[in-house]
Amino acid sequence: MDPSDPPGLEQLFEHAPCGHLVADASGRLLLVNATLCEWLGYDKHELLAAGGFADLLSIGGRIFHQTHIVPLLRMQGSVAEVKLDLRRKNGTLLPVIVNARELDWKGATFLHVAIFVVEDRHRYERELLLQRQRAEQLAAENARGQQELDAERHRAEERAVFAEKLVGMVSHDIRNPLSVIQMSTVLLERSGLSAMQRQVVDRVSRAVKRVHHLVGDLLDFTQAKLGRGLQVASEEVDLHRSVADSIADLQVANPGREIRHVQRGAQTCVADVNRILQAVGNLASNAIAHGAADRPITVVTESASQEFRISVHNHGPVIPAQQIPHLFEPMVRGADADAEGGVGLGLFIVREIVERHHGSIHVDSTQQGGTTFVVTIPCHPPAGNR
Amino acid sequence: MGVLERHNVHLSGSGRAMVFVHGFGCDQNMWRLVAPHFAKSHQVVLLDLVGSGNSDLSAYDKQKYASLRGHARDMCEVLAVLGISNAVFVGHSVSAMIGLLAGLQCPDRIGAQVMVGPSPSYINDGDYFGGFDRSDIEQLLETLEANYLGWSSNMAPVIMGAPQQPELAQELTNSFCRTDPEIARHFARVTFLSDHRADLPNCRAPTLILQCSEDIIAPLAVGEYMKRHIPNSTLKVIKNVGHCPHLSSPSASVDAIESFLHGA
Repeated sequence: MDPSDPPGLEQLFEHAPCGHLVADASGRLLLVNATLCEWLGYDKHELLAAGGFADLLSIGGRIFHQTHIVPLLRMQGSVAEVKLDLRRKNGTLLPVIVNARELDWKGATFLHVAIFVVEDRHRYERELLLQRQRAEQLAAENARGQQELDAERHRAEERAVFAEKLVGMVSHDIRNPLSVIQMSTVLLERSGLSAMQRQVVDRVSRAVKRVHHLVGDLLDFTQAKLGRGLQVASEEVDLHRSVADSIADLQVANPGREIRHVQRGAQTCVADVNRILQAVGNLASNAIAHGAADRPITVVTESASQEFRISVHNHGPVIPAQQIPHLFEPMVRGADADAEGGVGLGLFIVREIVERHHGSIHVDSTQQGGTTFVVTIPCHPPAGNR
Repeated sequence: MGVLERHNVHLSGSGRAMVFVHGFGCDQNMWRLVAPHFAKSHQVVLLDLVGSGNSDLSAYDKQKYASLRGHARDMCEVLAVLGISNAVFVGHSVSAMIGLLAGLQCPDRIGAQVMVGPSPSYINDGDYFGGFDRSDIEQLLETLEANYLGWSSNMAPVIMGAPQQPELAQELTNSFCRTDPEIARHFARVTFLSDHRADLPNCRAPTLILQCSEDIIAPLAVGEYMKRHIPNSTLKVIKNVGHCPHLSSPSASVDAIESFLHGA
């Protein structure tokens, strides 16, 4: 090849590596190059007779042409990188990128369009679009799922608050008539009763105390399980002394049993003393109910470093190993459950109280050693989290 | 944001108000070859529909604009804020119908209608020839989608120089016809699937229907249909290929509107 004799402009136009077309102001085709004819499968004269540039487009493409490309050409003289589909002679579509420019030539305006085939890019873009649609769909599904979750949580919270209110109201309404019954038994006791009548009044009085207790447990359970958690108000207290006093009371109330208190160490702690005594009371009541009647019950309070430990020990029947993991669940009662056993909320409430104090509870039950519940709480729980 | 900022309203001239509203695709710049002529004798109001051009895109509420009536309400609001009554409403394409609906909502504010390439319904329906089938509109949406791949990002396409129009500032390039792709898709659907044939007989204002001789979006048959159904209307066909006579045949468009204004 002679480098001094390159192809002429005509050759370069006809076989350029892109399609070329020139149209008049109305869009009628005046010139098309061989590359474009080849891509679209037309002979040159066929293509020139096909009409205007817009006639090569799909109907949707023509609307886009009229609403976007024509105005842009008129306003800024050119457009670039417009993605269109051209119709081949055989009806199939050819994805192309189009650059176009208006050309003023000897008083007339012409349109010069350069066309690039973009089949690979088209496939890639379709894939991107599909992925975006898929992502949008997933996002919408997620949002719907989240909305449902939120609505469900909201309903659950409403149910919990309602349950708490209901139980609170009912408990309150039960306590009032209970107090009337209790006061009436006191009045009856003073009115000179026969021995048999006194026994009956005693029974009524004990039953009223138990119902009081049950109502209290029910309230606590509702708060802990359905509501906003057990309410705890901590302050600096001497737990050794408080537990000692409460054990002494328990001894008075249960004259037939031996209940000891052993103190190790001396230290004040930050805790809700009423809640701690409630826990100790529940554990001791269990020991009285389930322990061997002829053996002592021992409550040990022990403070060392930053911990406070309370253990409640009794002799008697072993708690079966398979029961231990479920012992603290509500409504679980021992195998020897009897009329004094309550509704099975005692240990659940103990564990709730311990957890609200950031502590832990363990149980150990053997034939020789007996049964020991050990509660351990930090003496100074993390600030702002009491 | 006030109503005028929301619509990027531009005012010029004085006299009876003429409100120029662009159609689907571009913005108020479409009137650049026509509006200045009327500013010599009229107060010219240029604006962008919410969702187009430099309007407040954040105001585009899909529910409000699920029907052209949402845009019509905007038009009445703009006229109310400007204190305009008896305006000539010049609407291109879809905005011709928006103008008609606005005229029904606030008849005192709009005294005459100029409809450039209007169509009350683009979809063929029994005897009615609108020019398109639903599948054509789906194709349009696909083409829009394909083009917003590039246009929606920050990489605005490089515009080849337009030496014959040096006044065209760089920041304007392509922005006339570009908007948020979500909005474009929604507006395209609302525009091309709308059917306001039943509203035509309610239009009482004198109306000029300005039709092009060759326009695939608003074919002649549609112009004739409108002429038959709008009571006080005139049909004027100008020789023009395409859907934008105000850009491709500006002087013929100006002449047609002028003679309508003097006759009306």
